[in-house]
Amino acid sequence: MIFERRFLLGALAIAIVFPLLGWSEYVIHVGVLIMFSIMLATGFNLIVGYVGEFSLGHTAFLGIGAYTAALLSSSLGMPIFFNIAAAAVVAAIAGFFIGAVTLRLRGPFFVIVTLCFAEVLRIVANNWVALTNGPMGIAGIVKPAWMAQQTALQQKIDFYYIGLALVTVCVYFAYRFVYSFLGRAVVTIRENRFVAQSVGIWPYSYSLLAFVVASAMAGVAGAFYAHYVSYVGPEVFGFPFMISMIIMVLLGGKGTLIGPVIGPVIVVLLEEYLRDFKDLRFSIFGLVIVAVVLFVPQGLMGFVAARREQYARK
Amino acid sequence: MDFLLQLLANGLVNGTFYALSALGLTLIFGLMRVVNFAHGELYMVGGLIGWALTELVGANFFLALLIVVIATGAAGYLIDRWLIERVRNQGAESGILLTIGISIFLTNTALLIVGTVPHKVLSPFANKPLFLGPVVLTQSRLSIVAICAVLMLAVHLLIKHTTLGRAMRATVQDAMAASLVGIRTERIHGFTFALGTALASAAGALLGSIYVTQPTIGGLVSLKAFVVVILGGLGSFAGAIIGGLVLGVAEALWGGYFATGYVDAIGFALVIVMLLVRPYGLFSVKSERA
Repeated sequence: MIFERRFLLGALAIAIVFPLLGWSEYVIHVGVLIMFSIMLATGFNLIVGYVGEFSLGHTAFLGIGAYTAALLSSSLGMPIFFNIAAAAVVAAIAGFFIGAVTLRLRGPFFVIVTLCFAEVLRIVANNWVALTNGPMGIAGIVKPAWMAQQTALQQKIDFYYIGLALVTVCVYFAYRFVYSFLGRAVVTIRENRFVAQSVGIWPYSYSLLAFVVASAMAGVAGAFYAHYVSYVGPEVFGFPFMISMIIMVLLGGKGTLIGPVIGPVIVVLLEEYLRDFKDLRFSIFGLVIVAVVLFVPQGLMGFVAARREQYARK
Repeated sequence: MDFLLQLLANGLVNGTFYALSALGLTLIFGLMRVVNFAHGELYMVGGLIGWALTELVGANFFLALLIVVIATGAAGYLIDRWLIERVRNQGAESGILLTIGISIFLTNTALLIVGTVPHKVLSPFANKPLFLGPVVLTQSRLSIVAICAVLMLAVHLLIKHTTLGRAMRATVQDAMAASLVGIRTERIHGFTFALGTALASAAGALLGSIYVTQPTIGGLVSLKAFVVVILGGLGSFAGAIIGGLVLGVAEALWGGYFATGYVDAIGFALVIVMLLVRPYGLFSVKSERA
């Protein structure tokens, strides 16, 4: 806990100083992507790492958040921060209903049914042209007014700091959640459902609460993404986002708070680095997943934690 | 009325195809407790090999089918022994992730090799229409339905009435007890996965003669197969057939009488409704194992 807090505060300090070092636009863009990914991974980790159920439908909330922000911005002209808050609320409500249905199931059934929900939403986004503009998506989401006079680099730096602020809020929430009685209750459910029930923890309602918090975070990430790229299409519900979320959390280490911060940094940098390999990079990505499952099943932080335990025992 | 009959006939034919394409998935889950996310990609590989053999090499359709079954079966055995065996007792999640990794690899490698163009397996069955009273069906579809039925029966007999099938069922029921009576459970797991893989790719090669196959089709096939097996009950053989037929007929009726845009969503809607009523499918795994 102390280690996690120190590490996260240190990472925050580095992240604040980072853009001041005079980087190019591209580097800052990568930084913004990392911020977006950390939000997603932190939320997703609450479900996978703490509740211990494997959801493949977390893009549902990413997409709902993105579309909420896009619609509020393009048709009502609402400002960015209002949209982000609204997206969090809408995604949380959706998370409540979808979670209420899916959390009745466990294991493979949960996995497949969450995936079904994300697919249904993608099909709806594709077909409900009146609301979502169908496959064309919603383009031209306006940048905040204060950015109008700025250079492209300055705009990216602004988005970087907005992202960093949102990440800080998300990670802080996750931290408070994990180290409260709620987090301990959820971990008890993960470790042994029957023991949890026998000491008065109702698995369904605690899991649902974690699910709702995770959905809200994905909604925030979606709204941030919508404003940053100023375009939202049905592909925000797609499986590729889900896959990168999974790799980030697993590579970093599920069930830790540091894992979903480190994971996105590595994965986004790896993605950018593999760009040189063009089409081959996706094949390599598949092999990376296989390798992670086989060789570091607990992720980097799981590996570190095991080492620290060994060290402490000596 | 004729329209309804035609829709029902189309639905049943498509439903048989869905059942066939979900068979490998439900077999692997029922006999190994692995959710195979690479299922659709194995189907795609079967279709592409079938296309390469019939179109490029000029092989006979049935010979191509046989080669597909043997080649992918062998590949499936190796995938199990080299990869899945290492995560066997680490819970469902590791298996899911591993197969997701394999599926990404297969899709993108296939894209590199054959590109995005859709391909078709050449089959000896004519596309001639057959008139059965008021209903029109093509000869090729009916032939494939017949082959499907034979294939399903063969797999059923293999699992229920052979020594290998008994060993497979014993292994999933209690691997420890199975190995105590002399069953080499690791090999049996390998054979089971090989059978599931061979079924998936045989479905790909068969249906590749009716629909088109392209590297990116795997995701869609996997999703439909998931819908089918969830409707019928994961791991249940009869369930997969019923689930496939239900999905086929529901899609045909919805597409015929309502909007075509949402046809792909029907299956997911059915799954969600099913969950509220009977969370573990029509035929739950407990009542029947494969």
